[in-house]
Amino acid sequence: MRKNFFVLFFCCVGILTGCATKPTDPEELKAYEEVNDPWEPMNRSVHAFNQGADKYVLKPVATGYRKVVPSFFRDAVTSFFDNLAQPVHFANALLQGQSKDAGAVLGRFAVNSTFGFFGLFDVASEAGIPNPENDFGQTLAKWGWKGDGGPFVMLPVLGPSNVRDGIGTGVDSLAHPLGWALWNEQELHYGLLAVDGVNARERALDLTDDLQKSSTDYYATLRSMSRQNRKKKINAVLGEKESGEKPDYEVDFSDVEWED
Amino acid sequence: MKKIICMLLILLSTRVWASDPAIDFVDHLADQILTDVVTSDKTKEEKESLFNKAFTEAVDLKGVGQFVLGTAWKKATETERADFLQAFTDLTVKTWANRFDAYSGQEIVFQGSRNAERGQLYVDSVIQDKQPVEVIWRLRPSKDSYKIVDIIIEDVSMVSTYRNDYRSFLQQNDNSVPKLTEELHRKSLEIGSNSKNN
Repeated sequence: MRKNFFVLFFCCVGILTGCATKPTDPEELKAYEEVNDPWEPMNRSVHAFNQGADKYVLKPVATGYRKVVPSFFRDAVTSFFDNLAQPVHFANALLQGQSKDAGAVLGRFAVNSTFGFFGLFDVASEAGIPNPENDFGQTLAKWGWKGDGGPFVMLPVLGPSNVRDGIGTGVDSLAHPLGWALWNEQELHYGLLAVDGVNARERALDLTDDLQKSSTDYYATLRSMSRQNRKKKINAVLGEKESGEKPDYEVDFSDVEWED
Repeated sequence: MKKIICMLLILLSTRVWASDPAIDFVDHLADQILTDVVTSDKTKEEKESLFNKAFTEAVDLKGVGQFVLGTAWKKATETERADFLQAFTDLTVKTWANRFDAYSGQEIVFQGSRNAERGQLYVDSVIQDKQPVEVIWRLRPSKDSYKIVDIIIEDVSMVSTYRNDYRSFLQQNDNSVPKLTEELHRKSLEIGSNSKNN
């Protein structure tokens, strides 16, 4: 039912808003290709929907959750859901051929599930075990879908992504052990997903408030930041850049006239 | 013989550290901001004014301003550019000053420096936290010191993010730099009034 709603929502918004017009000016065209957002009108509509849902539902609930629930308890919730997702990260690490990451993920899961009391305490991080969080978007990149992962997509509720990583998110959520373990307990499953969602929103409250206050176009800022940060995660599985190769974050200052 | 080698190694390692003025520059700046602004008991206004001074001295605002405005910089008049730079500085200072409230004793560890294009440099650092945060400082030599031209947090370039934000705003507002400047002023006032209410 929920899936049908989203398909219908996307179709309606897509038909109503269409695609962005390609500019003819060379500078504008360069910028247009850089952001790779041909479905911008549709994405902006989804963003507006997300902003509305956030303003009236998610943010007030997350703010209330922060006020009522003490931080040690919230940390335990974060650790618990983080630990539950580790089998998905493990499978992805294997599919990516990242043996070091697979070892770290396995170590984390073993330590946190036992000494961390079913994942409620993140003793693995305290012990310095990394948390690489390998996902299926990275796996697709490793399998050959490199670059920026196709056009930018603003996902309903979940936020900024691209075609490759959007598919990755879908596959990862289907593979999540919670869905399989609670196959016959759908109400409990959705209840837990809601807790995970509210907890995740609470953790992002300060960052999103900061960005909303300081940016003149919040949508463009989210698009830019998510794309840049995602490149880091993709590069992590594709291997280090060859020496002398320009890093992705190196902006081109050739037009700037510096003064001493 | 062993003693001599040890002494030589110590001397060499001290020299290597002391001979990296780019790291010293960022280290000194971070230390100054931490002592004078973040952890001091001064009033919010005093802290903001001290941070403003350190920030405007350390950052190449004119160069960064040119970059973040993109093609609009070339078309803007001198007055429009100056007004924009002032509004951009005000908003950036206010935004960062607000971020310092979240500081809870994390340490910054410098890992080294390396070359960027056009004789510029990157200084690599990590903010130690439960989830460590990678911060890269891009510097350009200026006189006998340096100026910051970009700060890259977890591979997100600050100047690139501002450029994308402002480009999008300008596209929707007749490419008018005065309108962007006005919006930045409005944002600054909003942050100012919010922080006073908190």
